[in-house]
Amino acid sequence: MILEIKDLKKNYAGKTVVDISHLEINAGETIGLVGNNGAGKTTLFRMLLDLIRPDHGQVLSKEKNVAGSDKWKSYTASYLDDGFLIDYLTAEEYFSFIGSLHNFSSEYITSHLVKFEEFFNSEILDKGKYIRDFSKGNQTKIGIAAALLQNPEMLILDEPFANLDPTTQIRLKTLIKSLKENNTVTTIISSHDLNHVTDVCDRIILLEKGLIIKDLNKDENTLNELETYFSDKTIV
Amino acid sequence: MINVFLNHQWKAFWRSRNKGASIAAQVFLGIAILYLLVLALAVGFGMELLIGKVLPEKDVFYVFNGIILYYFAVDFLMRLQLQELPTLSIVPYLHLNIPKQKIVSYLNIRCLFSVFNLLPLIIFIPFCSTAIADVYGPLVSTMYILAIVSLCIFNNYTAMYTKRLTTISVKAIFLVVIIIVCIALLEYYSILSITALSNRIFSLIDNYPLLGFAFLVAAIAMFRLNSIYLRQNMYTEELESAPVKRTSTDYPFLDRFGAVGVFLALELKLILRHKRSRSAIVMSLFFMLYGFLFYKQELLARDEIHMMIFAAIFMTGSTISIYGQFMFGWQGAYFDGLLANPMNLKDFIKAKFLLFTCSATIVTLAISLYGFISWKILAIQIAAYLYNIGLGSVIVLYFATRNTKAVDLSKGATFNYQGVSATQFILLIPYLLIPYIFYLPFAITGNPYRGVACLALAGLIGLVARGYFVSFITNELYKKRYKLAEGYRER
Repeated sequence: MILEIKDLKKNYAGKTVVDISHLEINAGETIGLVGNNGAGKTTLFRMLLDLIRPDHGQVLSKEKNVAGSDKWKSYTASYLDDGFLIDYLTAEEYFSFIGSLHNFSSEYITSHLVKFEEFFNSEILDKGKYIRDFSKGNQTKIGIAAALLQNPEMLILDEPFANLDPTTQIRLKTLIKSLKENNTVTTIISSHDLNHVTDVCDRIILLEKGLIIKDLNKDENTLNELETYFSDKTIV
Repeated sequence: MINVFLNHQWKAFWRSRNKGASIAAQVFLGIAILYLLVLALAVGFGMELLIGKVLPEKDVFYVFNGIILYYFAVDFLMRLQLQELPTLSIVPYLHLNIPKQKIVSYLNIRCLFSVFNLLPLIIFIPFCSTAIADVYGPLVSTMYILAIVSLCIFNNYTAMYTKRLTTISVKAIFLVVIIIVCIALLEYYSILSITALSNRIFSLIDNYPLLGFAFLVAAIAMFRLNSIYLRQNMYTEELESAPVKRTSTDYPFLDRFGAVGVFLALELKLILRHKRSRSAIVMSLFFMLYGFLFYKQELLARDEIHMMIFAAIFMTGSTISIYGQFMFGWQGAYFDGLLANPMNLKDFIKAKFLLFTCSATIVTLAISLYGFISWKILAIQIAAYLYNIGLGSVIVLYFATRNTKAVDLSKGATFNYQGVSATQFILLIPYLLIPYIFYLPFAITGNPYRGVACLALAGLIGLVARGYFVSFITNELYKKRYKLAEGYRER
């Protein structure tokens, strides 16, 4: 078990946004988090990354509370939104900054980036642009690549497919699947695209108003089940 | 429409995250302004008496005429530093059915509501409507008032225009600095006297009253220039320069600092690659001119150096106080990313100290030229420098851990004056007062230079204890991390 959530609660303006009594995530799992807007996905991610203080409960990464230690940062990589990008750097500068936090040499980083050649679709490197001048989709690519660059044991991506063009979406799926092959990376991604999530992940967690409604191991019926759930929802 | 804008601004103020601090600042400002207005009222009505007392051997009108332009010259400098540009983030309004002219008018009218526009009227009009009316008649009196109101409006819009230009281009800042330095030097060495010029112009009005309309024309021209400029620059996109090829840069000389160097390089790139931060730095270089205002031979001879301490602290620490007051907020846009990554907070803080130390050292070396006036100045500046790198930077960074407002670097500079005003100066009160705790006890007992030495010693102790302060600030930042991240997310 790499991640454990115990009695985690977060309220905003009297409204419960996240309320998870217990959740365990095992090493090597690929988990898809689905739910409508306001379900609490991003808030949950931020608490996993110690970016907001839970009102109650804790997140344990390898049995250590993330709010208390920095140890989890050495094996956890994430990309939630463009608030993770340093947008006045060039893509290369950003990669080398992130790499330097892990004491990677610049040669290592360069050789590592070659792996993303296909994913980048030659739109990222040697462009002579600051990150802020890239399109939204290309910024997402930079953020995802920077996360993967860190060789994480635990990867957290919030809506990685949003803003990506169709080709890159397919390539990203291939990338995530390849991480699964050697069973060492635990991945948690959220997405509104049920097709992608069920394609990539082997466990689906459905959040609604902060509560875990469903926790499914994927089989051939999962996509149908999810589609039925979301289309049957009555307007509240 | 203007009411709607005002209403939105009102809401923006009351709903802002830093509400507590900004209300406190406004209250403080309000009291200060009230005090100034009372003073101005006294000066205005007592002008005749006052001139008679201070310069009994001179003609009252001669002195009065001489003061006017001098006042407005100082007024202009004050405006450049203190007067707020009217803020209205216009982007949400541009695509709506609102004529651009209305937005321009709003910005133009809004900036007239400033104490700077009230003060001169209170100071000068009483004298114009009494003494001048008695001696020269109602027409001359009216023209004086017209001239003063026009000068006030002229100054208002010239200051706004200059501020707008300088926020866009670094070249404009250098130009303005050079012009001001030249005029200051000419005045300092009595080559050109503003007083004499003022006298000549206003004596002309005594003789040919209708010349007063010239001031009105100048004021209207400046107003028009401002409107046209604003009108033409409503496209926020055009304020950005055309795309140029960007290259990745390394600062090899920072490698020796290891992880601290990496963060410092990051911050240097931040400063160099944004207009907003560049102009903050250049603005702080402006303060290097304070010496001309504060270092006076006759005061040095009498060892009355209280105000010089203030000036020296402001100059040697200008980058610390002006750039540093927004600290961490500069990096607000990617604060989440920094927190989620395995970075060492201590190195991060050390990089800030290193940045402050380097910049203060460079400025101190540059202004050591004032040492040619007297060795005493050099001693004061060194003490101020030690204070700044030893204690001042700690104070600024401590307050920075309480600043939850991100600096918006993404917008162009012209319509983004968020925070560049008097309000921030108030946070700096402890920064500027603490030196006097070390200096005053000695100064009062007649040993000002022991006070200077004590200040230097305090700075040195701070420097020696830097390891402790680094941990202290790191802890503060760590404790406040959720609050900061939350505030910065709200952009």
